[in-house]
Amino acid sequence: MAYNKPVPRKGQHHEPFWEGAKQGKLMVPRCNDCGRVHWYPRLICPYCHSTNLDWTQASGEGTLYTYAVQHRAFGGWGEEAPYVTAYVDLLEGDRMMTVLRGVDPSRPQDIQIGCKVRVEFEKVDDETFLPFWRVVED
Amino acid sequence: MPVAHNLSRMAAIVGAAESNEIGFTPERGLRITSLQHHIEAIKNVCDYTGIPISDIEGIFSAGWSSELAEHLGLRPNYIDTTSVGGCSFQIHVHHALAAIAAGIIDVALVSHGEAGRSYRGQGGRGGGGRGEVSPGELATAAYGTFGAPSQYAHAMVRHMHAFGTTPEDFAHVAVVTRQWAMLNPRAVMFSKETDPNGGPITVESVQNGPMIAWPMTISHCCLVCDHGGAVIVARPEIAHSLKTQPVWIAGAGESMGHSNIVEMADFTATSAAQSSRIAYEMAGLGPQDMDMAMIYDSFTITAAITAEMLGLVPRGKGHTLWKEGHAAPGGDLPINTNGGGLSFNHSGMYGMQLLIEAYRQLSGTAEDGVNGIEGKQTSASTCVVNGTGGTLSTTGTLVLESN
Repeated sequence: MAYNKPVPRKGQHHEPFWEGAKQGKLMVPRCNDCGRVHWYPRLICPYCHSTNLDWTQASGEGTLYTYAVQHRAFGGWGEEAPYVTAYVDLLEGDRMMTVLRGVDPSRPQDIQIGCKVRVEFEKVDDETFLPFWRVVED
Repeated sequence: MPVAHNLSRMAAIVGAAESNEIGFTPERGLRITSLQHHIEAIKNVCDYTGIPISDIEGIFSAGWSSELAEHLGLRPNYIDTTSVGGCSFQIHVHHALAAIAAGIIDVALVSHGEAGRSYRGQGGRGGGGRGEVSPGELATAAYGTFGAPSQYAHAMVRHMHAFGTTPEDFAHVAVVTRQWAMLNPRAVMFSKETDPNGGPITVESVQNGPMIAWPMTISHCCLVCDHGGAVIVARPEIAHSLKTQPVWIAGAGESMGHSNIVEMADFTATSAAQSSRIAYEMAGLGPQDMDMAMIYDSFTITAAITAEMLGLVPRGKGHTLWKEGHAAPGGDLPINTNGGGLSFNHSGMYGMQLLIEAYRQLSGTAEDGVNGIEGKQTSASTCVVNGTGGTLSTTGTLVLESN
């Protein structure tokens, strides 16, 4: 079945992210001067204000920061509701949003903040893959 | 940080008014534009204060200022159209205070008009066209959130994790705020007559309502209404010459933590800690000096977190102000005496509603008792007002005093 949910438009400074995603790699921006990773992509490092930025492959590992269960949704997501949305802290630093895989939306109280999560990619079309995070065993 | 001079009390709010028909107006067979809400509120506040519209020198609104000035035939010499969500109006008062203290203008109008219900889903008024891809879009667009409730639920879950709170704790905010709405005949949820869902609610009924985004049921979320409102800010000499009671701007501050919530470092802490610290310092007052509070309640969690940020209660304990009855009618720290965004009126940006009620309480004009019911007027002479805009993003704090 064709992917039927919203997909971010491809911004002109984000090619490494999309190219990486096609290969199953999570590419994130990193500052060559202060060494810190940031998300979302910037034109300037939000920490040290250097413009000497590059992309690096993240480990794809992180921990759950917080979550919610969406009961009101529309379009393609409406067909999946209820589902769990979440914010995950990357091992390398900073935070990403996701729809969380590997959890039961009918038992939200069983989801453990701080648990280990790993990235995986879902195909939209041949040129477009999106990262999602899944709860994994320690 | 050096301060040239303290701006405290260098201007006052000299009047506040609403547009003629607010709340669930489509249900009453009305279809009112945002512009009409603005113009009615402006006319009403000028009638109330006795200040002619032609005397307005500075115009402040969330994105409407040039259009409003043109519509009114004004040639203002101070134009501010800061639009950073629901706290824009607290920030406008801060900017008006600064402009008056600087001697640029004597009389400032802050105006709000928002047909949030009549024109629901047809987009708000913001900046210009956004053909470019926002970097934040890459961070959030794919992941199944729809509007504010779907995001704020993440903050409640984080608060529950960090402080051991429960959804029932936050339900008390909705229950107590409803008690205030039942004293305000203009509140959408005043009674079963004003809305089928109006009248008393309980923690149990809040928790048994339709789930929007776990852990928030619908009664944890604000209303979607129409509203227009305006206040006039003026320098002391003018304030003393009017027939209306001035409410002094003792302190003002503004700040922001982020624009996109993906950038929010701690989902249980907003920039209200910073904006209120600045406002309290300007006022020479602290949270312990506040007789009441008007706190933006887009959601129950917004109000609880903000009470903590304003120093009214320790971290993690925001909900106790409502749960223990301090915030309730007859309590020792009345909060959201109009019935709040939860049960009175929320149009998308709620900061003007906060301002109007704070003015009315401190000027002794909040008594809305009708047909023998008790009114909502308190004896407060100090009030902290805090707006929150965006997704727990921007904040504006005012410390107001009646004398």
